[in-house]
This record gives sequence, structure tokens and C-alpha cells, in this order.
Amino acid sequence: MPPLAVETDALVKKYPKVQALGGVSLSIEPGEIFALLGPNGAGKTTWISIVCGLTRATSGHARVLGHDVVADPMAARRVVGLVPQEINFDPFFTPREVLRFQMGYFGVQPSNDRIEELLAALALSDKADVSSRELSGGMRRRLLIAKALVHRPRVAFLDEPTAGVDIALRKDLWNYVRKLRAEGTTIVLTTHYLEEAEELADRVAVIDHGRLIAVDKPEVLLRQHGKKRIRFTFDAPVVAALPARLLALGATLENGGTSLSCPLEGDASEVLAAAAALPARVVDLRTEQPSLEQVFLALTARVERRA
Amino acid sequence: MNTIGFKTLLSKETRRFLKVPGQTVAQPVITTALYFLVFGFALGGRVKELDGISYVRFIVPGLVMLSLIQNSFLNTASSMFIAKMQGTIVDLLVAPLSPGELLTAFTLAAVIRGFLVGSIVWMVAAIFTGFSIAHPLWTLLFALMVSIEFALFGLVVAIWSDKFEQLNLIPTFVITPLTFLGGVFYSAHMLPEPWATITKANPVLYMVEGLRYGILGQAHSSPWVGLILTGVLTAVSGVAVWVMLARGYKLRG
Ligand SMILES: Nc1ncnc2c1ncn2[C@@H]1O[C@H](COP(=O)(O)OP(=O)(O)O)[C@@H](O)[C@H]1O
Ligand SMILES: [Mg+2]
Repeated sequence: MPPLAVETDALVKKYPKVQALGGVSLSIEPGEIFALLGPNGAGKTTWISIVCGLTRATSGHARVLGHDVVADPMAARRVVGLVPQEINFDPFFTPREVLRFQMGYFGVQPSNDRIEELLAALALSDKADVSSRELSGGMRRRLLIAKALVHRPRVAFLDEPTAGVDIALRKDLWNYVRKLRAEGTTIVLTTHYLEEAEELADRVAVIDHGRLIAVDKPEVLLRQHGKKRIRFTFDAPVVAALPARLLALGATLENGGTSLSCPLEGDASEVLAAAAALPARVVDLRTEQPSLEQVFLALTARVERRA
Repeated sequence: MNTIGFKTLLSKETRRFLKVPGQTVAQPVITTALYFLVFGFALGGRVKELDGISYVRFIVPGLVMLSLIQNSFLNTASSMFIAKMQGTIVDLLVAPLSPGELLTAFTLAAVIRGFLVGSIVWMVAAIFTGFSIAHPLWTLLFALMVSIEFALFGLVVAIWSDKFEQLNLIPTFVITPLTFLGGVFYSAHMLPEPWATITKANPVLYMVEGLRYGILGQAHSSPWVGLILTGVLTAVSGVAVWVMLARGYKLRG
């Protein structure tokens, strides 16, 4: 059996004032696009930093392609690429030089073709030879991504790689990520754009307050935690109170009574019959698919309530 | 062994100072030339001879030592500290570079800078005082050891410092005083007691004396004393840096 791309066992990280990770165990398969989601301060960056050897865990273990990051750090690091969350740049050097260095650090003979390829993939070709000081925020972020990938890591960690990158380039980036996956690279990413995670990720983990609260395929999470809704639009506002059977289904009036939204579970006919009986004509009828955003908010809110 | 990684880091660290030759090479040369003019010629008119050597010749080893110390220290200290401040240290920390490889690449680049500036300073001085070197091997050995020692020391200080003021603390309060009191511009023998004795506790004195023996062929202390002392200091600093890097002290949270 080939080793897992990333495996963490009960990873704990305590800082003097906070516990950033409270025992996170995750297994990521080779060739997956895996999205790590969670509110700010959830512990995503801490988890990635431990796996990449930038931070030491208080307890627990982390392995990359079977290499323990503490016991065999050099072997683990050789296969890893990291886009750190914090932008960094060295004003002394140009993007082309920086990519050359980064390739070399990983023990890969620097190749001009490879560097050109990445500069092009991240739309930096025309900035290849200017000082990094002259790059915009989005360009610096893209250079960070190029640096993380230039040595062809087998497992790439992208911590908020699209923050500050505009939509068109974000789409290009995700296409590039898909291409990498097709070549066998495992991708672990965090993002604030949940629709991206939903569209791109094979599996998603939700962490909050340093704890794992869900890991699954997006469609499974949607099925388990998301609720389909049905929405009726009326020709005139419904001013009367809703009948008890609609209230029992969880229906609510919106937009000043001109629309009604109701969760849909299994049988739709009851909702339909009840809505038809309201003193207004239905002019539009629509079902809404659950979104990962909705699931995410529901999951993290549940933790909030428990806390 | 990550040979490509090591070579890449060495080449990057070397190019870093070569990119700003005005700051890293020309500035120390001008400073030294000024010392030479002010102390060597202006004072030299009065001092004439020290330990039987003309004063301008006498200060040459001290000036070379000054530039070796300053440049090797500054190269590692500024490079490491800036990398920490601008966050680019992450690029090295995620890479498969061992503590030994990091240590050696940073140190070697600093030694190259020290040698580059040190030899320019010596050549500038030699124009006035002659190109002879009494013991080339001792000269090279001392230049090498001192550069390594201060490059390592620069790494220790830069890794330890969280703020720019801390980084400046050591050169201002330790290195500069020890260097100037180490007999760069005078012979420690000229000092009255108790200073003559107190000065003997200054390790830089033996480094300057060692280089003086190498270049001029005479000094008050045996070059072996300087060699052993510098060797021990270098070994201690080397171990300290290695332990800091291996433990990720102030680098890996
Ligand atoms: N170096 C540090 N020192 C102290 N606390 C930290 C440090 N880094 C992160 N934390 C804390 O750990 C928690 C998790 O942070 P982080 O992993 O950055 O979250 P996320 O990436 O999910 O936003 C936060 O409460 C944060 O304040
Ligand atoms: Mg983060």
C-alpha cells in the first residue's frame, strides 16, 4: 500500500495563551485536492506549519509520504512545497532569480524551461526580471505560489493562495492546480472562497477552535449537513400568519411576505399543498441547492454554541 | 547531502553582497583608507615607530583585521536578520537544507566577503607600505579563522535578535570596543598598568597580534596562542549556531 500523502495523529499545539490545535488527526490520500476550511484562528495555518516543519507540535505526529517530519525532516521536506499565508519577498532579487534559488534549495538542478513555465502559468513572465519590490500584492502572492511549485513537490500546501488575487487569475490558478493533480501532485489548500473549495476539492475538512469537526467529500457534507430549500414567490404579500403545518416544516416569510422559503426534506408535496393554500398566487417556484458556505456556517456555529 | 541546495544558498548569499558593491565593498575600503590617512599619516608623523616598525606599516594588519571582522559579521548578521524580518527565512526553513548546510553556506559567503574586503584593504595599504608578507600561511590561517568566527557570531546575534536595536547592540558594545582596544592602532605594550594586563583578556588582541605576526613577522604573543584561542572560540560559536539551527531556536515556532 502506498503511504498516505499526509497523515497527522492527534496533533496538538499549545501556545502560552492559546491552544491552537487540540488533537487533529487527518489522512490525505495521494493525488487528492484537499481543502482545509475554518474561521480565522481555527488552526489551519498552524496545522500546515507543523506538517511543513516550520512549527513544532506540542504532541502528536505528522508524516508526509510516510516520512515523519521530526524524525526524518530532510526526506519529508524534499517532497513538500509551501505557499505560506504571509507574503514574503526579497527586494534584492528578481522573480526569475528567486525561482532559481528556490529550485536549488530543494536539491533540483535549476532549469530555465521550468522557470519559464511557472512564470507563464502564474502570469509573471513580463515581470520576470524586475525587482520583487516592484510587484503588486497579487503578483507577490503569485510569485509565492510559483516558488512553492517550481521544484515539482509531490505534496503542495497552499495557505490562502488566492487572497488578493483577482477573479480571472484565480480561475487560471485553479486550472493549474487541477493540472498538477492530474500529474499526480497532492494539493492541500485553505481558502476563504468556499465556492472554490466546493468546486475544486475532492475532500474538505472543517476545523474550528483547533478541532476537526467534519471531513468528507463536499457532496457528502452537503447531503448530511446542507438543506435543500424551496422558495415560492407570490403576486402579493402574504400578511396573514402562516398556518401551523408550514411553520412546523420550518417555513419563513421573506421580502415583506412576497416570498416563502422552506427547507425541503424528502416529501415536497406537503409544502406544495400548503403553499398553494395561502391567500396569494404563486408566480414563481424554485429549489435552492445547499452550498458549502451554508454547511460551513452551520457546522462552525454548532461548535460556537457548544463552546 | 543536498549539494545543489548548499551551492545555491552559497551563491545567493554571495550575490547578495555583490549586488550592492557600493555598500558592501566600496564603503569599507573608503573607511579603511581614511583610517590609514588619519592614523597612519597624520599620527604617523609623530609616532614614527612602534616596536621597531614604521607606524604606517604597523597599523596595516590591524586595519585588515578590522575589515575582516566587520564584514564577515555584518554579512551573516544582516542577511539572517533581514530574512527573519521580511519572512523569506521560511523559504530556507521549508527546504531540505540541514543545519550544517545552512551554517556552512552562510558562513562561507561571509568569509568570501571578509576576504574580498580584507584583501582590497591590504592592497590599498600595500601601495603605501609595500607588498611583502612575512608568513603567508599564518596570515591566511588567521584571516580565515577570524572570518569564520565572526561570521558564526553574526549568525548567533541575528538568530537571537527580535529587533533591530538588539542586532546593533553587539557590534556597538562588544565588537567595536574589543576591536579598537585589541591593539588595532597601537601596541598593547604601550598601555600603562593596569590596562596592559586587562587588555590581555581581550581575545581580539591575540587575533590582531596573530595577523601582525603573519604580515609583519613580529608580534608580542606567540601566533600559537592566537590560533588556539581563535580555534576554541570558533568551535564554540559553531556548535552554538548548529544547536540553534537544529533546534529551530527563534526560527521554528
Ligand atoms: N506564533 C504564535 N504565537 C501565539 N499564538 C499563535 C501563534 N500562531 C498562531 N497562534 C494562535 O493560534 C491560533 C490558530 O492560528 P492559525 O493557525 O493561524 O489559524 P488560521 O490559519 O486557521 O486562521 C490562533 O488563536 C492564533 O492566535
Ligand atoms: Mg491561516
